[in-house]
Amino acid sequence: MGVIQIENLQKKFGDNAVLRGVDLTVDKSEVVVIMGPSGSGKSTFLRCLTFLEEPCDGIIHIGDYKVNAGGKLDRSRRQTIRELRKKTGFVFQSFNLFPHKTALENVMEGPIVIHGAKPDEARKRAEELLIKVGLGDRCNHYPAQLSGGQQQRVAIARSLSLNPTVMLYDEPTSALDPELVREVLQVIKDLAREGMTMVIVTHEMNFAKEVADRVIFMDGGVIIEQGTAKEIFEHPKEERTKKFLTMVEE
Amino acid sequence: MDATIIIDSLPSLLKATLMTIILAAVSIVIALVIGFLTAIVRIVKIRVLTEIASVYVSIIRGTPLLVQIFVIYYGFPQIGISLDPISSGILALSLNAGAYLSESFRASILAIDKGQMEAAVSMGMTYWQALRRIILPQSLRIAIPTLSNSFIILIKDTSLVSVITVTELLQMSSLVIAKTFEPLTIYLTAAAIYWVVITGFTLLLDNMERRTSRHLVR
Repeated sequence: MGVIQIENLQKKFGDNAVLRGVDLTVDKSEVVVIMGPSGSGKSTFLRCLTFLEEPCDGIIHIGDYKVNAGGKLDRSRRQTIRELRKKTGFVFQSFNLFPHKTALENVMEGPIVIHGAKPDEARKRAEELLIKVGLGDRCNHYPAQLSGGQQQRVAIARSLSLNPTVMLYDEPTSALDPELVREVLQVIKDLAREGMTMVIVTHEMNFAKEVADRVIFMDGGVIIEQGTAKEIFEHPKEERTKKFLTMVEE
Repeated sequence: MDATIIIDSLPSLLKATLMTIILAAVSIVIALVIGFLTAIVRIVKIRVLTEIASVYVSIIRGTPLLVQIFVIYYGFPQIGISLDPISSGILALSLNAGAYLSESFRASILAIDKGQMEAAVSMGMTYWQALRRIILPQSLRIAIPTLSNSFIILIKDTSLVSVITVTELLQMSSLVIAKTFEPLTIYLTAAAIYWVVITGFTLLLDNMERRTSRHLVR
């Protein structure tokens, strides 16, 4: 049984069905890359996994926590969603660092608020994580003083600070200048090598070829096809996948 | 204009200035609390309270402060609530400024990018933790310039309380004029004192805004 197990996930915005029943199982240490044209529902899918969007139907199972979509938002359900989120690191396209806190404070925030860690412990752990993402010398910089690539690496360190079971990335390099993409992808690659379970929505095909155990192609709110990067990129079976790939490669 | 008249009347005017400052300071503190709570109630949408809050804001913003002062001081005794002039003044000023402050607070909270809330709750924070630790510290900084506007208006509005016999700066000026028959000199002196008080206050807030903005650009 997978670390992530999603069954029949559905999401509508008004009359617009963005997800039309997505099933996905991700095994421990597996790296799954989701691709697809814009509007295909891939970001919404990822956001539904941690209830940043409330799905209309389906079952979400991450680690030890299982939440049925569409239930009443009562106390116990909110509690379960919170527990699920603690174990699910989420990295945003726009970083969303806390601008009034330094890099170090950003990474300390979770352990202090969520785990009730002592400031000293949290600081030590945060320093280690910032060193890990190559920013040991930027601890006391505010987000505004960091490049986009550096901010995204702080954001990854911030997610790691809560020792997540899985990491979700929503187009982590799409807001970056081309020369800054590599440093962020390198950090994600390092995590893949360490065995972190990850689901990554991205347009970076070369990156997908290097790290993805599985590539999923989504369109129209459903998974069109999935397989190894080689299968998907070199021998796509579905017409829509082929069309998308020729458009991306142009 | 005569310098000796200014010097002679200064002690009484300054003493009355103290009353003006006390009225303003106490009202600001109460207004901050009212404004903040009202804003939170309207943002979080706490059922009945939200409606009460918007009715409150609408009534206060839709009626003149002078009328509010009269209602509280002359009107309330009819329903058994008799307040002395100073308390009436403070109540009117705080309720009035509170409504305006609540809109400043509300706007400043809504101005924070929604990604901030998402980042906080996606870590597993509760809504309130995210509000307290992530959203409010940022929005309060944004709010400072508009808050200082409301504070300045409130300091000036203390002069309206003179109509219900509170001896603040303007009331005292009129009393002094009754004795000296020098309206121009005395009113200009009073104006100068208001200017000093308000400018001092503005500098204080500018300084606070600078200190809270340190993280932005260097």
